[in-house]
Amino acid sequence: MSPSTLKKTLVHTYMTLFTLPIIAMIVWYFLSATMNFTTGQFSLDNFAFFQEPVEYSGVKLPLIWPIVFNTIIYSLLIVAVEVCISVPTAYAFSRLDFKGKRAAMKFLFLMRSFPGITLIIATFFILVQMQLVNTYLGVLLVAITGSLPGRVYIMKGFFDDVPWDIEWAAMVDGCTRFRAFKKVLVPYVLPGIGAIAVFSFLGAYGEWFLFKLLIFNDDMLTLAGYLSKLITKENQIVNYGLITAIGLFYTLPIVVFYIFTQKIFMSVNLGGAKQV
Amino acid sequence: MENAASRQIYKKPFTKKIYPYLFIAPFALLVFVFFILPAIATIVMSFTDLNASMKPKFVGVTNFTRIFSDYNLPQILWNTAIFAVLSLAISLLFALIISIATQYFLKGKLSAVLYRVLWLIPSIIPAVVYVTFWKYVFDPTEEGFLNSLMQQFGIVSDPVSWFTKGAMAIVILATIVSTISGGMILLSAAINSIPEDLYKAARVDGASEKSVITKIIMPTLKWPLMYITISELIGFVSSYFFIMLLTGGGPMRDTTTLSLYAYQQAFNLKYYGYGAAVSLIVVFISFILTLFFLRLFDFDQMIRPSRIED
Repeated sequence: MSPSTLKKTLVHTYMTLFTLPIIAMIVWYFLSATMNFTTGQFSLDNFAFFQEPVEYSGVKLPLIWPIVFNTIIYSLLIVAVEVCISVPTAYAFSRLDFKGKRAAMKFLFLMRSFPGITLIIATFFILVQMQLVNTYLGVLLVAITGSLPGRVYIMKGFFDDVPWDIEWAAMVDGCTRFRAFKKVLVPYVLPGIGAIAVFSFLGAYGEWFLFKLLIFNDDMLTLAGYLSKLITKENQIVNYGLITAIGLFYTLPIVVFYIFTQKIFMSVNLGGAKQV
Repeated sequence: MENAASRQIYKKPFTKKIYPYLFIAPFALLVFVFFILPAIATIVMSFTDLNASMKPKFVGVTNFTRIFSDYNLPQILWNTAIFAVLSLAISLLFALIISIATQYFLKGKLSAVLYRVLWLIPSIIPAVVYVTFWKYVFDPTEEGFLNSLMQQFGIVSDPVSWFTKGAMAIVILATIVSTISGGMILLSAAINSIPEDLYKAARVDGASEKSVITKIIMPTLKWPLMYITISELIGFVSSYFFIMLLTGGGPMRDTTTLSLYAYQQAFNLKYYGYGAAVSLIVVFISFILTLFFLRLFDFDQMIRPSRIED
């Protein structure tokens, strides 16, 4: 064996070893959801939650379909609101001049890296004062405030890359500045809008913490909140079959979605990294 | 006279001046209500005894003196430090190994793509689904993966209660497996940007793999590594999602970090004032780290003036 093939084999061995837990995780998920471990046979008993409300360690849970509906509505709403707010903001930061732009930029940057989660106690108190606890509006507002700085930052990068000539040309042809933004710039940064939409969707789809904290009615939960209730109910999970079946139902759409959009993850300038 | 009039500076009409602010108004409003206001409120609350009765009373620095006499504090600080430092060190090391392996040794190979995609999965799948796997691996009953494995090989006869023995190790393990990919993406991109010629030149000069890694790859990674270090440190100090899902801070206070302690004081025990005071420490640490973070960036390059006069 030549030294270079030896080296390759070594690298492959190590990489396979490192990746083994993840492969095990994926295999376990499918096995646990679709196999009856006492008989060792394939069964879809665990997927009974599709038809009827299930009982889990003595607690009757609401039927899953309204919760799926909540999840989709909530995620799409978050995507819409985040795109509608972050695109104009990023445009202003990238292409307009205004007093205090430098300070605002610095603040945006500070907020992007500052963990908003540390302020959750006071945020909760403010929501109580505004009577937004146990409403979707409250969850939505807190969630988007936390993620917007990151989205604005990514969007700003896309606006920075648009050549000025395009905007000039549009304005020479008689567009106002706003019309140029709407008709020329927004179509030009569509890939960026797609990227932040994907990020927002994934973020909203996985959001469980704010639901656990701010939503008290079980029938208002989303799938993530629902699952987090199940797995933190007791220290120890009683019925892995049921949990993994729900988990699989919840995760598979995201994985498929991810396979189709994964190019975005690799291409977006994630950190605004200056030398990367 | 005419000369003076023509020298008069062009004054923007009011509508044009207000125009950019309209674009950032929704964002600014949100930031004000849900970021600046909570930041101020946290400071104010930490000087009150706000609790479940919701009738706050100003108590001065009592909360802070209470923190320093809190008998839980030494253990919690120790937990926070161990959690942050170990998670950071191990995840950074693995991100480095994986990105060098996939972008240098296996560059352009299908297997490299496969490894990277697999490694991204823990951070892509929702946290609630991800932790279920670790709960299963370390399940204290015979059903659990490790316990059933060890019983099959006859190492132990009774199931081991993993969570009482090494809860912190489990939490750290689960955290690093899902954070590696974030660093991996940035490091991979950095290694990918190294021109192929450099490797070729090194090979012609008879450089060993070791010196290629230490002399060519590592210097390129200096900036990304700094970026990842600070941003992940901020995350580990301030967030407690995995801990909450995996152990809830227990057993006893074995996995309670400072930020989780603040959360528990506020929302489980309803001592909002005291919780705010504890979280103020976390805010302070995160703020310092954030300032370090800002220094990594070149602001003048990021702020560009508009090239359209209106």
